[in-house]
Amino acid sequence: MLELRGLSKHFGGVKALDGLDLSVREGEIFGLIGPNGSGKSTAINLICGVYAESAGTVRFSGQVMNGKAPHERLRAGIARTFQNIRLFPNLTVWQNLWVAQNSPRDVAAQGFLSRWFGATRRTRRELAELLELADLGHKGDELASNLAFGEQRRLEFARAAAARPRLLLLDEPAAGMSRQEIEDLGGRIRGLRDSGVTILLVEHVMELVMGVTEQIAVLNFGKKIAFGTPGEVQRNEAVQEAYLGTSASDSGAAGEGA
Amino acid sequence: MSYYLGLLQLIGVHTLLGLSAYVLMLTGQLSLGQAGFFAIGAYSAGILTVIFELPILPALLAGALIAAFFAFLVGFPALRVKGLMLVVATIAFSEFVRLFFFNLSWRVPRGDIHVGPDSTNGFREIRYFVANGWSAWEITTFVWIFVILVMAALWWMDRSRAGAVLRAVGEDELAAQSAGINLTAVKVTAMTAGGFIAGIGGALYAHTATYVDHLTFTVLLATFAISYPILGGLSSVFGTLVAVIFIQGVLVEGLRFLGDWRNIVFGLLIIAAMNLKPSGLFDARTTLLLRRSVGLGGRE
Amino acid sequence: MGDFWFEFVEITQTIGDGLFFGATYSLIGIGFTLIFGAMHKLNMTYAAASLAGAYVGLAAFTFVNAPALVVFLISALASGLIGLVVYVACFRFIPVNNHLAALMASIGALFFIDEIVVHTTDGSPLTFPAMFEYVMLEVGPWGLRGDLLFVLAVSVASTVGLLYVLYRSRLGLATRAVSQQDVAARLCGIDVHRTNATTFVLAGLLGGVAGAMTAAAVGVLSPLVTVPLTVKGLIVTVIGGLGSIPGAIVAGLLVGGLENVFLYFRGVNERDMYVLLLLFVFLVFRPHGIFGSAIDRD
Repeated sequence: MLELRGLSKHFGGVKALDGLDLSVREGEIFGLIGPNGSGKSTAINLICGVYAESAGTVRFSGQVMNGKAPHERLRAGIARTFQNIRLFPNLTVWQNLWVAQNSPRDVAAQGFLSRWFGATRRTRRELAELLELADLGHKGDELASNLAFGEQRRLEFARAAAARPRLLLLDEPAAGMSRQEIEDLGGRIRGLRDSGVTILLVEHVMELVMGVTEQIAVLNFGKKIAFGTPGEVQRNEAVQEAYLGTSASDSGAAGEGA
Repeated sequence: MSYYLGLLQLIGVHTLLGLSAYVLMLTGQLSLGQAGFFAIGAYSAGILTVIFELPILPALLAGALIAAFFAFLVGFPALRVKGLMLVVATIAFSEFVRLFFFNLSWRVPRGDIHVGPDSTNGFREIRYFVANGWSAWEITTFVWIFVILVMAALWWMDRSRAGAVLRAVGEDELAAQSAGINLTAVKVTAMTAGGFIAGIGGALYAHTATYVDHLTFTVLLATFAISYPILGGLSSVFGTLVAVIFIQGVLVEGLRFLGDWRNIVFGLLIIAAMNLKPSGLFDARTTLLLRRSVGLGGRE
Repeated sequence: MGDFWFEFVEITQTIGDGLFFGATYSLIGIGFTLIFGAMHKLNMTYAAASLAGAYVGLAAFTFVNAPALVVFLISALASGLIGLVVYVACFRFIPVNNHLAALMASIGALFFIDEIVVHTTDGSPLTFPAMFEYVMLEVGPWGLRGDLLFVLAVSVASTVGLLYVLYRSRLGLATRAVSQQDVAARLCGIDVHRTNATTFVLAGLLGGVAGAMTAAAVGVLSPLVTVPLTVKGLIVTVIGGLGSIPGAIVAGLLVGGLENVFLYFRGVNERDMYVLLLLFVFLVFRPHGIFGSAIDRD
């Protein structure tokens, strides 16, 4: 479903990502892990078109995505969340979901006027369902900025789902969450996968990654150093070294951009 | 009486000017180009009623469309830059338009005189209303019909998905893009709509004033245009209307006793306002307080 | 052949004069860019403050018949002082991340200063003293106007002075530190407000010199010059690349030179239109300017 071939990104002389090969199968939950600065976020930004790649290709269900703008990739079926939540803070919860209804199906089903200026009954029903699913049913008219942290994470997750993606990129969705919230998040991720969405999860919180993913790729210094099931990856020596070798600085830099 | 009707017309025209900037500001774009679009609307509509002797309605519509077309054109290069660079680009556009009309001379004979834009001497004789015997009341009503139409349209748009999309772009471009919004399309559309509204305003202004010249459309006018939504806040179109009434009605009229010195006071007031309330005089909190104090309640 | 030669000399003469005069645009551009570099904000008042400085210099000449050098010095000092006032009024107390409010406040200050000038001079242009006798050096078929040569010399001297302050003094080190990493600079014990204020004063000093030179080269000071000079300064800043001093220098000369070409071919009324078009050409083909980095900046 998602094929990365030799994907690279250079910032000046820094190779943030260096020839990444990856393939994610349809319907799987795929984990992408690695120490801070190993290129995980860069990979996400390349897949959804925020950065232009220095080399390599991004192929999504057979289509080459290179050169396509983020909104075009979303319409092709790639949605994302952000590491540091990026909602529309002064829009209501409802509006946050409303503006994200940009899937080809939504565009085709509605006429120009009803799409931009009205809201069909079906739109309302579907958004209400999404809100329920995110446990935000009673907060539809609340401003997004007034939500608690956990609620904001759920809203961002729901906003990505509102675009009816086929592939969802989650960029450290568990950052700053409590154990309880992480468990809840794991359930949501599985639930979304069961409804047919493929998931690429970039994460630091190992209990989430090990708990929900089926395949994991490990990055270090922009290169893939390991690949396999959660169990295989945990036993991999190169992985242990990468994490142990940077663990001291890792804890110090936690919370900073990866 | 006619003095107050004139003031009412001016408030109407400036409301349109402010609303044209409001639409753009929803998408997070600050444009000092509104004076340019206003000028294009004014000159185009004026030329159409004076030289081509069209009735006011088609001339006004054509003026607005021409302004919208230029806004559309400016939209593309202007999109490549953001924030302060956009401010510079749009100031340059306004100045360009002003200099264009400074140089434009298009005189045609009408009876024993010549009419039309006369470069540095300005464009006199935009006397459609007078020639057709409109009373001051009728002119004022005519102006306000457009103000109300535009305000209603924007108010409705604001509550629709289109409004939410514009605001989403204004709040976070990257998130908007990632949620599937086509930034280029949204920004150019906002720019074009802003140009159209400013064009209507300009066309009405030219005909109510009967005389325009390049000095009408300076950076000061562009500053007025953005001051209204900045002071009135972006929570609704009514903020802009309130700000226009406050500045044109209360300040400019109220400070009339200061004579020539009131422009100095205007400068000082902007500085003071920005220092005391950097996010607008009528921001969400103040509006709430005001509503409460007059007993209108208001949502928490 | 003779005609062609004549025209060639004319045009190169025109471009040369423009390049020399463009040095004043460079100075104004440097001022804008310096403040942008320090605070990532536009100080719209800058050109108006520079001209206001020149007015103070003119007053010194008119009332106490100060000599040329003193007139320049007073212009620079006055403009530096205005810069400080503008900083305090429009930037110091406005939240750092609120670019809009600072921009509006500085536009307010632009009108304020402009109106004060209009009121004290009744809005009419004043003659600025020619600083010295009319001199014309002859270089082959070309003539070098002494006053323009002087403009260039003063511009170069003040630019060198500025670069010296920026790159060789502790003050400049602080300024550059704040412009690059404001938080880190704060942690190192640099007083950001004070450094920003210093940047405004430095830019103001430069602007005063530029204002006085513009006036001296043109021969008159008029409030009508304020907005065009502001716009040209902004254009120079953008074409050079926001925040780039070498960019501002090159762009200033470029604008000065091309301006005279437009003047030669299209006349004085249309000249500025083409300068503005030049900006759009850059925005379309090279939006980050000659020396600007390709990083998006707000």
